[in-house]
Amino acid sequence: MAGSRLEKFGTVFNRVRDLMRSGVIQPTEKPLWYDVYQAFPPKRDPLQVKPRNRPSSQKRETVHDIFYQEDEVRAKFYEQYGAGPWPLDLTKSSYVSMCQRFVNKYTDLKRHSELDESALFEETGKALLSEGLVLRRKGASSVSAESKEPMLRLKLTDMLAEKQSVGVDSKETMDQTTQMETPPIDHSNSKTTG
Amino acid sequence: MKVPLEKQDFFRVSELFSLKELFDARVHLGHKIGCRHRLMQPYLYGCRLDQDIIDLDQTVEYLQQALNFTAHVAYRGGIILFISRRRQFGHLVESTAIDCGEYAHTRYYQGGLLTNAPVQYGPGVRLPDLIVFLSTLNNVFQQHVAIRDAAKMNIPTVGVVDSNCNPSLITYPVPGNDDTPVAMELYCRLFKMTINRAKDKRRQMELLYSFSAPSTPSS
Repeated sequence: MAGSRLEKFGTVFNRVRDLMRSGVIQPTEKPLWYDVYQAFPPKRDPLQVKPRNRPSSQKRETVHDIFYQEDEVRAKFYEQYGAGPWPLDLTKSSYVSMCQRFVNKYTDLKRHSELDESALFEETGKALLSEGLVLRRKGASSVSAESKEPMLRLKLTDMLAEKQSVGVDSKETMDQTTQMETPPIDHSNSKTTG
Repeated sequence: MKVPLEKQDFFRVSELFSLKELFDARVHLGHKIGCRHRLMQPYLYGCRLDQDIIDLDQTVEYLQQALNFTAHVAYRGGIILFISRRRQFGHLVESTAIDCGEYAHTRYYQGGLLTNAPVQYGPGVRLPDLIVFLSTLNNVFQQHVAIRDAAKMNIPTVGVVDSNCNPSLITYPVPGNDDTPVAMELYCRLFKMTINRAKDKRRQMELLYSFSAPSTPSS
């Protein structure tokens, strides 16, 4: 069957139409999709667009950034509280994350009262606390963390004290026995740094 | 034969999906700004934190047109070929084609498949009347050769174009996500349903004609 293989010029439909008009393709050989295309043409002719690689052709409309007014609240929330206490479950479309609940509360309070931004922030935090949601601040330690850290610190300080006392004892014994030997701790330190 | 073409939505394909379904299937998610193709800009709604969001209002229209075209081609007994070089969805595409009774090609595309078909498959091969691309890119993120070959062989194409694809040569592009499994399952299901609907309608019409008049209608 005759056909035209010039995909760079004209659309599929145009070429078949012109071939039929010129008589190269007989009406009996009309392709199946021809009538369908004629009845329901696409929105845009499928012409091949030549790639323009020159930087001078910059006259294009840029794609807009999508930002909402609640994004300011969300940014502050994430800055202060970090990511929510539990991860987001995106499998359900009706899932409301901690951040979203905060934003909803914030917008509600803003509509009803005329407070300042930072005051509103505090208010929403308190309101959520009253509902039973505890928000942990990023950086500031909460109760459980505090209980752990002093324990760790104590252990470390104990260990250091022990080590120092051991070192002092050994040093004293060393000095008593031989005065030429340098303390082992400093020696190891200099070795690691050097 | 002309009756289906006169109505706008003879096969009622617009009932098969809704905007909410497309949103839930995450069809609106595109790639990052750096991957964006210049020609996809008109189909994009915007850019949220460097990720392109495809305009679902346009997608609904384009998808309706594409499904309508496939339905009409299937109604007229056309051969439909599904192409997708994504290995993640190869099995899904092949099973979709089997369920429709149509054909699929999800393996390495040999250069002369469409352009050199009589030599490769034997003389008198019938080429597909419609090619449906469920992903227009091949494994090296370049445009699939079959798009250009279909345009060469005067075969119309329907394709799901993501924000890093070139939609210019595809007859009926459908801007949408082609990476998420949910979105791919949605497309496969929609195409399967339209083709089955069209074929059932065809059988009904043939039965009606064979009962009402003894002469078969001209195809």
